[in-house]
Amino acid sequence: MAVSSYRSPVSSRFFLTKWLGPERLRKITTSSIAIFIVLGIWQLLCMGKDPALPPPLTVLTDTWGLIIDPFFNNGGTDVGLFWQILASLKRVAIGFSLAAITGIAVGILIGTSRLIYDALDPIFQVLRTVPPLAWLPISLAAFKDNEPSSIFVIFMTAIWPIVINTAVGVQQLPQDYKNVARVLKLSRADYFTNILLPATVPYVFTGLRIGIGLSWLAIVAAEMLVPGVGIGYFIWDSWTSSLISEIILALLYVGLVGLLLDKLVASIGRLLTPEEQK
Amino acid sequence: MSMFLEVDHIEKVFPLPNGRHYKALSTIALNVRKGEFISLIGHSGCGKSTLLNIVAGLERPSTGGVVLEGRQVKGAGPDRMVVFQNYSLLPWKTVQQNIALGVNTALKHLPKGERRSIVEHYVDLVGLRAAVHKFPHELSGGMKQRVAIARALAIRPKLLLLDEPFGALDALTRGGLQDQLMKILTETKATCIMVTHDVDEAVLLSDRIVMLTNGPASYIGQILEVPIPRPRQRMDVVNHPSYYGLRSEILYFLNQQKLQKKRKRQQPLTISRHGLEKVNLNLGFVPLTDCAPLVVAKEQGFFAKHGLAEVTLSREPSWKTVLEGVTTGRLDAAQMVAGMPLAMTIGLQDKAPVPMVISLILSRNGNAITLSKDLYEKGVRTLADFKQYLSQPNVTPPTLGMVHPASMHNLMLRYWLAAGGIDPDRDLTLKVVPPPEMVANLRAGEIDGYCVGEPWNSHAVKEGLGFVITHDLELWPGQPEKVLGMREDWADQHPQTQVALVKALLEACQYCDDPRNRNQILTWLCLPQYVGAAAEVIQPGFLRAYDRGTPAQPQVLPRYNQFFVSQANFPDRVEGLWILTQLARWGLVPFPRNWIEVLDQVRRPEMFAQAAQELGLPGIGPDRHQFQLFDGMIFNPDDPMGYLDRLAIKRDIQIQEVLVGASAMAEGRSETIAA
Repeated sequence: MAVSSYRSPVSSRFFLTKWLGPERLRKITTSSIAIFIVLGIWQLLCMGKDPALPPPLTVLTDTWGLIIDPFFNNGGTDVGLFWQILASLKRVAIGFSLAAITGIAVGILIGTSRLIYDALDPIFQVLRTVPPLAWLPISLAAFKDNEPSSIFVIFMTAIWPIVINTAVGVQQLPQDYKNVARVLKLSRADYFTNILLPATVPYVFTGLRIGIGLSWLAIVAAEMLVPGVGIGYFIWDSWTSSLISEIILALLYVGLVGLLLDKLVASIGRLLTPEEQK
Repeated sequence: MSMFLEVDHIEKVFPLPNGRHYKALSTIALNVRKGEFISLIGHSGCGKSTLLNIVAGLERPSTGGVVLEGRQVKGAGPDRMVVFQNYSLLPWKTVQQNIALGVNTALKHLPKGERRSIVEHYVDLVGLRAAVHKFPHELSGGMKQRVAIARALAIRPKLLLLDEPFGALDALTRGGLQDQLMKILTETKATCIMVTHDVDEAVLLSDRIVMLTNGPASYIGQILEVPIPRPRQRMDVVNHPSYYGLRSEILYFLNQQKLQKKRKRQQPLTISRHGLEKVNLNLGFVPLTDCAPLVVAKEQGFFAKHGLAEVTLSREPSWKTVLEGVTTGRLDAAQMVAGMPLAMTIGLQDKAPVPMVISLILSRNGNAITLSKDLYEKGVRTLADFKQYLSQPNVTPPTLGMVHPASMHNLMLRYWLAAGGIDPDRDLTLKVVPPPEMVANLRAGEIDGYCVGEPWNSHAVKEGLGFVITHDLELWPGQPEKVLGMREDWADQHPQTQVALVKALLEACQYCDDPRNRNQILTWLCLPQYVGAAAEVIQPGFLRAYDRGTPAQPQVLPRYNQFFVSQANFPDRVEGLWILTQLARWGLVPFPRNWIEVLDQVRRPEMFAQAAQELGLPGIGPDRHQFQLFDGMIFNPDDPMGYLDRLAIKRDIQIQEVLVGASAMAEGRSETIAA
């Protein structure tokens, strides 16, 4: 309080506008107005007696308990939304990390060797088009456990864009850089760390960004079929209990988390990409 | 001693997607000395970058190989570091890291501290101290190229390869970097090969300029030595007498390549009309007063009168390019110095023989020997004075210029010197300098005198740079000077055209020797497409009294330029024989034992006679006769060997049977039998 009263109102308003920027402020204003209009229409449409979907205000009052206390833990699957989302994120984190490590390695391998590329590319092209959920039964059969199965689904979903983008990045490595390496006679390790890896970073991160988006899509669907703590199963559970307002709240959270994940990977990528390659 | 770098007959063939092959380079052979700076110049697509990449080891030649210090180049390596066209800096590394990557890899064996100080040294050398921690995207193009140069030099390569290093930079930055590169190279003494398309850059930086012809199958068309001493300063280079000559020679080469490409596209070449095999002739000349007959024939309409409707006169910078033009067929025929067709037929200085024909002499006299004002001040007035001057102890042997080894200038200058007891090869140096560059070379002190046609003697006199010690009328009045030369196979394919050409030029020569026409001719000669010199330097001897640049009164010399009178145009075989003795005397060509056959082949009086008779002129020449030059030694056309024997100063004379005409062409080169 002492700090804020220290500032004059004028300078604080100036500070706010400077932080937001006129352009950003304009965007936020317009999108807020749009959200209110959408909510308003929704409210109007669902005003009648016994609507198919609850109007926004009803959703808010119905789920107020969940919103204000996301951290409760009553044991079993009866836990707050924070824990539900955290459980899903954990699975995504494990599956996605495995996919990233394997995907980058395989991508570099097939990007460097024309022979391996020609050998594996047709297999990848077929596997890539298999929908994520189609992997679930076979993984359940193989692992006989829910947890590794959902992680496997994430893995299979995220790996293809990572492999393909990394391979393209390696193949697109400018001849100039290769020539530099050849003239300097860089060792394999030096070539990898000084030239190949930094040059493919932008491509790798494009793959990672697509991968994380797909993983988040897949986890919600996978969890619906596999009981346990997780935002996907929470939605399915709410549906079986006819708690439509809770579903709507959960969907909102899923969307926001997906957005945050995408922004997170993108900003790491930006941090690691040199200016000239952007 | 073996060479530092040998490019040994490289060929490069690329397979095309359609199964065919594209030959980019054809038998490229080049030797490079240690510390030398070589430029590769040529039009884009001529394969100069391919050649550089082969030397770098980034590409492999299809045949042939590259040998560096006795070892064959098998792949790329840091001993042949490349400065790439687009810098090729790693964008994720700072200036320092970019340089350090090379140093840490190529100079691993050095301790860490030393490597770091090397990097720092080169950062300072290229003046990038302030930007050392910046990334490439924060640098300007010029700075990036400096980093690339520092990266290349820091690993201390044996050979530095530069691929159009300054091509993408603005003129100001380019100039600055060129100066910097020169300075660095003076310090590091690195050997360099640079690909460029910038003529001035090539002259400024190079010791030798290698010019590649257009692809496909490019080959080395010409190699120019740049005789400008090092260390060089930009302005010194521009002011050096050879600068404009070199520059124009390169531009000429590049233009020829461009024209050739264009010509290949626009077939057909030959326009036949009026019963003539070809009326669109391309005739070469060198800007000199005695190119007048060609200019007159064109301007006064004599070519057109005899049906040659589309004659182009091609202004050539030197006799060498005339020779090359006629040999390659770029020129149909050309004004030539009198000895050239004979020397070409026999094979000048081990070159493959090109059988030539001359059917007309275009001019006689018109040459003079000019010596520098410096020699005049040292008391040289006559040949005897010159001999005495040269026999003084501690005198630097002077250098004299002449226009071509097979020119009358070379032969007359040598004859004059030898008659005075001066050995032209041992007592002084003779150097080939194209006529338009003589005065500049004299001014710069590169040469101390020369023998050349007008207006280049009067030019030196006018500028007070030299004086005329003697001229043709004193040496050999009526000396054959310029001839119309053409390849024998061309002449055989175009007999009617040849007669028409001789008729037109004969009428032009007649016009030239009428004093009433000389003012008009002077106006034409002054045009930039012909001689392009000021009227007052063409006038002496041609139109007015001849000023020798000495206190002596200018003298009227009516036959200083003789184009027609006294059967001037008859291609006399006796004179041809004298030329053969002189060419052999100085070891330029072997003396043909079958000289009668050689002269018969080259000098064609019958063709001249036919043309003259059709014009109603007498087509005959002087009777077979003995004659003598200023020194009084009799030349007897029946005993050329005896004449050669009596000449005191000469080289070892070879006497050989020379195959002429069709048989020589079939053999590809003169099959000679040692005497």
